[in-house]
Amino acid sequence: MIGKDVIGWESKPVLIRIESGAVRRFTEAAGISFNNRVPPTFVGAFMADNIGGIDLMRYEALHGEQKFTYYQPVKIGDCITYTCRIKDVSEGLGKLGRMFRVVIETTGCNPMREDVYKINSTIIFIERRPEDETSLGLSG
Amino acid sequence: MKHLWDYLVNDRMPVREWSPDALQLRQYAEVSGDFNPIFLDDAYARAAGLEGVISQGMLTMTQVGAMLTDWLGDEGTLMSFEARFEKMVRAGERIVCSGYIKERCAGALICDLAAVNADGEKVLSGTAVVTINNSCRR
Repeated sequence: MIGKDVIGWESKPVLIRIESGAVRRFTEAAGISFNNRVPPTFVGAFMADNIGGIDLMRYEALHGEQKFTYYQPVKIGDCITYTCRIKDVSEGLGKLGRMFRVVIETTGCNPMREDVYKINSTIIFIERRPEDETSLGLSG
Repeated sequence: MKHLWDYLVNDRMPVREWSPDALQLRQYAEVSGDFNPIFLDDAYARAAGLEGVISQGMLTMTQVGAMLTDWLGDEGTLMSFEARFEKMVRAGERIVCSGYIKERCAGALICDLAAVNADGEKVLSGTAVVTINNSCRR
């Protein structure tokens, strides 16, 4: 299970540079036009590898909601330090089984430590049933 | 040409049509780092009871984002953008992204957003707040 004890967990800060080539690859993959601007969802791809130590082998993870708030424009060439924090965990029981709703807040800052953006991601972790390891149980 | 400043409540922005295929799902997985097999492995997705691989929610949101930024051009700035993923999008489905002005307050527009499949089912609902750039205000 994913307990409320992970609320407040914070990743180590990660420094990235918004590279033109990476933005171009992102736009090509998504089939959108590249005009030397950073697409609004581009920074959503940057997240900690190991959120709160949640064992991803035990869960199927589905995206529920996503909110971006931009305090400053994100531009090619910018250096951003981002940190992820678990804001909330709640448990529910749906027809897919036991599930945990985890709200992760990612904050991106510039080198002056000013907030550039905040992302709130709601991820639904569905517990795999032990007797059903090979199935996602998503058909219900 | 209609400028951002001319948009009033209930006016609709130009729609964007999109249809993901399996290659795009793989390419998007590579750039986003999310290699969940339900996006990539048809057999895995079918074993899960789906009709085949499904799109990453963020890829759908990226299409809605492209609709917004194509519409804004140099005239507006996106301040916030949020989405709720209502329904899975299967590879090959035809999706229409759309949006309209829900509220207008001075130089800010609050937009209601949606992405809908061919059956008219909403796969994404969302909101964006944009400000009209000073040089484009009248």
